[in-house]
Order: sequence, then structure tokens, then C-alpha cells
Amino acid sequence: MSIAIRASHVSKQYILGVFNYDMFYKDMQSWIARRFGRSDPHGKIIENQVAPGDRHFWALRDINFDVEQGDRIGIIGVNGSGKSTLLKLFSRITAPTEGTIYIRGKISSLLEVGTGFHPELTGRENVYLNGAILGMKRREITRKMDEIIEFSEIEQFIDTPVKRYSSGMYVRLAFAVAASLDSDILIADEVLAVGDTGFQAKCLKKMNDVSKEQGRTILYVSHMLATVQTLCTKAILLKKGQMLMTGSSEDVIAKYTEMTNQSQ
Amino acid sequence: MSDTIDVNGEKWDLVIKPKKKLFSLNLREIYHYRDLVYLMIKRDFTTVYKQTILGPLWFIVQPLITTVMYGFVFGSLAKIPTDGIPQTLFYFSGTMLWGYFNACITSATDTFSGNAGLFGKIYFPRLVMPISKVFSNMISLVIQFATMLVIQGNFLLHGIKVYPTWWALMAPLVILWLAAFGTGFGMIISSLTTKYRDLRQVLSFGMSLWMYATPIVYPLSRVPEKYKWVFYANPVSAPIEFFRNSFFGSGNISPSLILSSIALSAFVVFVGLVMFERNERTFIDVA
Repeated sequence: MSIAIRASHVSKQYILGVFNYDMFYKDMQSWIARRFGRSDPHGKIIENQVAPGDRHFWALRDINFDVEQGDRIGIIGVNGSGKSTLLKLFSRITAPTEGTIYIRGKISSLLEVGTGFHPELTGRENVYLNGAILGMKRREITRKMDEIIEFSEIEQFIDTPVKRYSSGMYVRLAFAVAASLDSDILIADEVLAVGDTGFQAKCLKKMNDVSKEQGRTILYVSHMLATVQTLCTKAILLKKGQMLMTGSSEDVIAKYTEMTNQSQ
Repeated sequence: MSDTIDVNGEKWDLVIKPKKKLFSLNLREIYHYRDLVYLMIKRDFTTVYKQTILGPLWFIVQPLITTVMYGFVFGSLAKIPTDGIPQTLFYFSGTMLWGYFNACITSATDTFSGNAGLFGKIYFPRLVMPISKVFSNMISLVIQFATMLVIQGNFLLHGIKVYPTWWALMAPLVILWLAAFGTGFGMIISSLTTKYRDLRQVLSFGMSLWMYATPIVYPLSRVPEKYKWVFYANPVSAPIEFFRNSFFGSGNISPSLILSSIALSAFVVFVGLVMFERNERTFIDVA
């Protein structure tokens, strides 16, 4: 089995509080002060001390893992543990502060369904636009149009502007576009939590089918442990930006449940 | 996208690292997303005039009203000559070109702030957005250009000699020049506005001042020698003046002004690309 994703010493740092002064001259003053080793006149005072070094916050710290081709990995952790930051790094929405991510194969990420949908455009026009944003070619979308329309169950409204759609129709169409992607690696952030229960089950089944039949690699972030359990073969547990555990999804979910029970 | 990257003997399709090189424009990747550029242009065109009364007619109405206004204020009241070109043509062409340039700057400036929601959710080369705006802004330009030719034809029919020269065939290059410089300049502003929001306010004010430092309501020939340096420092002057000279056979523009303006524009575009590329990977952290 070859490696589809490798994270090597990946870290992401955010600067708290002071990064956005909104005033250019203050930025210049801070920069000059730092340049000449003086204390920053605009540094935020954190817990009664001017904290020149403590402003930095590691959202992720030294993350290392390999994902084998065809693995379905669930990423779990409490709020603020760095799950979403991790996905943002893999999706190239923001760059890591340290470390390197290696990817083999075509990757696509779904942090939201229906990204770029425009209310004035029809369902069909939006399928093209959203598909292209996800990296598909027009030809490819045309070829898949019937499949997308069928999956979304909104055939009679496909040429109506999406602003007239109900929210359920909107997400069904959006998910249908996403489901038609045939990249080797899929990164998803709780996107299965759309539509009614029936449609959710359909989405889950679709995700299962594509990964099992086509050997696709999936990286999936969720709070819903049941979904992770059914969909994922392995899991990674994050806590305060660090990797606490990795292993089979049963083991990791057990550990996570134990951890959250303890803290209560 | 299909080429692999070799790292220590292992082949990968994509390697994500903290810092990029100073300048690493990935043209192949942008070419890969050409369908997105096309669909963005189509989106802009179909959405702008939905639920409006006059629809695309606004493209013509706006510059026509401006032309009448300029004709009254600068022509009739201030009596600024127009190089022998009929006033209607002079002001209309100026307004049309300035309008396009202004639109390119403004839309490039709003790239990050206007697409923060989109950029925060999905990756695609961010340059797709300003590039598609160059073309969607061109739609109005084309309609206005056709209107200008109709006006010019009408003058010719009435025996007023405003013949174009062969240089008019260079018009597409002149437009490309305006588009590239406007977008490059706008990219510089857009990279700065992610941190300093007030720059956006300065821009709309600055643009109206900038117009008066450009030969829009007056011809270059009327400018006293001691102020000529302004047009060397302002690289929009040359393409606009050149456009008028070539279409209406008036005035003459020095090759040195054209060459230096091209060089200055190219420099601005380069700086714009560097700043844009640096910004696109981390702007979402400060937005």
C-alpha cells in the first residue's frame, strides 16, 4: 500500500490579540521597537505582564502521521483541539507555520457544501460554478449532470434560481455536486450533516460506496462519533493541538469517550 | 498539476510547505482552472443586471450622461479644448477607458475582502478572481466601444473628419495594458487592505483625484511643459492618450512616454503579483 498523505512535523501558529492593529503607524512603531530590541509599545498586556513571546498560540503542534491509500480516517477531538485547522492546512486554505505535508493523488476538500453558490443563478448554473470551484472541468460536469440531478432529487427545479429553493433542496443539490467528485483523496468537515435523516443516510452510503469500491482515501472531521464509527477505519484523536492517539476507530473513540467522561 | 515532485527519492503530487519562494507564479495551475475563470465571467454577466429595468443598457447610459456632463462643465464652461476632436467623442472615449481602468483596480482591490467566505472554505488559485474580473469588466467596455464607433461613424457621415489611423489596430493591446496595470495596482492595494481596511476608503477618493492627473477631460497637448513629468509618473496617461490619437488621428504622443510607461506598468504588475502570492496563503488568518 502506498502512502496517500504524509504529515511531517506540521505545526500552525496563530498570534493572539495583537496581530491586527488596524492602524499603520502603530504597526510601524511595533516593528521598529522589535527591530531595535525594545519592548513593543502596543503589545497586549496578558495577565498583568507585557508578554512579547506569549502572544503566540499553537493551534497545532508537531503533527506526524501517514495515511495509506484507501484509508478512511476520522479526526476527533473536543472544540478547539485543532481539527478544523488541520483540515485547513490539508486543503491549502492557510499555510502551515512549520513542517511539510506530502500528498499523492488528486485531492479535493469539502469544508462546506455549496461553496460559491450564487442565489440568482439557477440550480444547473450553480452546479457548473460549484463544480468548477471544486476543480472539475466543464466537460466533466456536463457528463455528470444527470447523475447529480438524480442524486439531489430536485429534477423539476433544476432551472429555477436557487434563491427560491428550500434550505433542504439547496443542501441536497450542493451535496450532489460534492458526491460526484472523483478525486483520490477527499477531505470533509462534517458535510454529511445535511438534509433530513433519509438524505443523511443516503450521503453516508454514498461516501461508503465510493471509498470501498474505488479505494478512495477519506479524511473526515466530525463530532458525531457514530458516523466516524461507521465510515472510518482508523481515527486520530487531537487534544490542544497535539496528537493524543491514533489507531483503529473503535479504540480511539473509546479513548475519546473516556476522556470526555473524565472531564465532566 | 500532473507533474510529480521528487522528495528524497519519493514521488509526491503535492507538497505543502510553510513558505513559498519570493515569486512562484504557477501559470499551469491557473490554466487548469480556466473553466472556473469562464464560469465566473458568466456568473458576473448574468447576475449584475438581473432584476434591473434597463439591463445592459446601463453600460451605455452611464458614460453618455457623464459625457454630457463633462461637455457642459469642461467644454462649455471651462472651455478646455479637445485637440480638434468632437467633444462627444473626446469625453466618451476618455470616460470609457477610465471606467474600465477604474473597474479593474476596484475589483482587484476587493479580491480578498470580497471573497473571504469563499477563500476560507476552498482552495483554488486566488488569481482566478482578478483575472476573471478583467474579462467581466470587458463586457461593458465592448458595448461602450461599439457605441463609440457608432458616434464616430455618425460624425464621419456628417463630414467631420475624425479618421482612425493604422495604430488603432493596436487597441486590444492598449486595453490589455490598462487591464494589466489596473489589476496589478489593485492587487497591491488588496494585499494591503487585508490588514488596513481604511485603505479601501482612501482608494475611492484617490481614484477621483487620479482621474484629474490623467488626460481624460483635457488633452495631453494642453499641459504645460513643466508638468509633463506627472504623465511619466502616471502610466495610465500613455495608453489613454495613445488610444485617442490612434482612433481620432489627433495629437502626437512621444515614444519615450510610451516606453517608460510600459516599463513602469510592468514593474507595478510584478510587485502586485509578488504581494498577492505572498498574501494568498495566509490572509485568511488575519481576515
